[in-house]
Amino acid sequence: MWRYVVKRVLLSIVTLWLLATIVFVMTWALPSDSARLILGAQAPEASVEAFRVKFGLNDGFFAQYGRLLKGLVTFDFGVSWKYPTQEVWPYLAKPLEKTAKLAVLAMIITAPISVGAGLLAAKFRDRKLDRGIVLVGLAASSIPEFVTGALLAVGLGLKLDLFEPVYSTRAEELSIIGQLPYLMLPALALALAYFGYIARMMRAGTIRALDSDYVRTATMKGLSSSQVMRRHVLRNAAAPTITVMSVQIGYLVSGIIGVEVVFNYPGFSRVLLDAAVDGDLPVLQVAVIVSALIYMVATLIADLVIAWLNPRARLDLASA
Amino acid sequence: MSNIPDAAAATDVLARSLTERKTARQERWRLLRRRPGFLVGVFIVAFWVFCAIVGDRITPYDPFTDRDSDCGLRPPCPPSGAHWFGTDQIGRDILSRVMMGARDLLLVAPIAAVLAVITGSILGMVMGYYRGWVDNILSRVVEAFLALPVVMVGILVLTLSRESSLLKAISFDSRNILIIYVVALLFTPIVARTVRSTVLGERDLDYVVSAKLRGESNLFIMTREILPNISGPIIVELTVRIGYSIFTVATLSFLGVGIQRPSPDWGLAISESRDLLNADQWWPVTFPALAIATLVIAVNLIADSIQAVYER
Repeated sequence: MWRYVVKRVLLSIVTLWLLATIVFVMTWALPSDSARLILGAQAPEASVEAFRVKFGLNDGFFAQYGRLLKGLVTFDFGVSWKYPTQEVWPYLAKPLEKTAKLAVLAMIITAPISVGAGLLAAKFRDRKLDRGIVLVGLAASSIPEFVTGALLAVGLGLKLDLFEPVYSTRAEELSIIGQLPYLMLPALALALAYFGYIARMMRAGTIRALDSDYVRTATMKGLSSSQVMRRHVLRNAAAPTITVMSVQIGYLVSGIIGVEVVFNYPGFSRVLLDAAVDGDLPVLQVAVIVSALIYMVATLIADLVIAWLNPRARLDLASA
Repeated sequence: MSNIPDAAAATDVLARSLTERKTARQERWRLLRRRPGFLVGVFIVAFWVFCAIVGDRITPYDPFTDRDSDCGLRPPCPPSGAHWFGTDQIGRDILSRVMMGARDLLLVAPIAAVLAVITGSILGMVMGYYRGWVDNILSRVVEAFLALPVVMVGILVLTLSRESSLLKAISFDSRNILIIYVVALLFTPIVARTVRSTVLGERDLDYVVSAKLRGESNLFIMTREILPNISGPIIVELTVRIGYSIFTVATLSFLGVGIQRPSPDWGLAISESRDLLNADQWWPVTFPALAIATLVIAVNLIADSIQAVYER
């Protein structure tokens, strides 16, 4: 097990280095005139040039690439170009925290409902209930998050007046319970998107387990159906579901952007989009790399949890 | 002399495998037509394709012209007999804009998906067929690419190239071409991974080994032997990818970095009028949102059916 953990962590570091390189090469190959963008069209050429010198925009490929790698190792990425008083990492951490709040709420809503729906669908396989759950899941996961968000804002927000249709910074003065009416719709939009993936995996995993020899043996041995469910089916159906959930945590960061913009939520998406428009490269590069890092850590944890849950997977992993 | 029956037998085997392939195709088509999800999906997609092609020749109003407000108020005007879906913030008829809103999306997204499947398949075949260090290095790069969130990299590349001196001369039409390249680039690694694992399952089978023994070139084996045998998974991948491509292009347009004004694109329309939700004006956002929802659900119903039929 430990050998596997070490191996996976080392491979993740290689992947991190590669993806940082990809991001850097992209920003290098598409040289936008950040200095001009940030200082504005009216700024005199001399101050634009001074800006370029100050932040090393005129440096060669390897000098700039080296700075990014050094930043990754020391976790000190320097300052934002647009707001030079702000260091990149704290500047990103605050909104990321807000985004995480939404993501956690979405997972709390979606995980039990999706797992339950997947189990029900598997139990009533090919009957009406199953067909319904599968269809709702397909629809929920194929609609872009921002569309679900917009429709929820109109339906539950404006028409039924259940929750606030648009986020407001007023919410930040309230307690966490008081914030819920503001957070509910964006979280629901995300929850719906993940419902489809999680329920589908849970259904497939449960069906595979139900059809297996060990479940038949357990049933014939005389275990009650609830015992079979708990001890044999759930444990085995959990593995693919956990994988999917972890991948979704990664996608949460990506899918959440649209939702945040629909609801005017001041999270990660706002700094990301602002940095992109301004050509604030340090912030932009680190934002993309950090979201990839979140995805990688989530999948790593999921693989380890699966290994811990299932002895057979542990064996496969040891030989991997 | 003894050659002749062998040749005849070989032709016979070839003919038989060709007819088998044909019956398999007919059988799949028959199964597809029986699936209600597939039929519903095809019907909806055909509807939007029709609207996109015919465009402003059948829309009740000109989708691009601002009109004096018909409701006696400042636009947007709520749905009425004259404007079934209401008008937007500058008085354009929303029904007309929604009907034409798929034009750019249905051009950009499928082309991007096709491009990604072509490049991804080539890459995946090379990786799976040659294995060794080529595969090792490319697999690492693919994995790194897959960890990058698609929408974020899309934002990064599309905004930077908007300001880039390299592409400064880009006009509105070539903007769409840029989106095609970016989405194709983003989807290539995932296609490559799928195709690679399929090729891994084929490369040690008898027909590949015997082709090698016959002395066929690697290029011939990849394109004429392996490719026909993995066409199923590639077709499935293509239909799934078209769904994701529509999803991604719509999201990028909503975020303001995709399809640009004055296109009546749905994602763009939602982003332009989402502020109206504050003023209780629901129609400019709702109708384009419903349009996107129907299109992506339809495409996914088709993809799902094709997947089910191929993986039976």
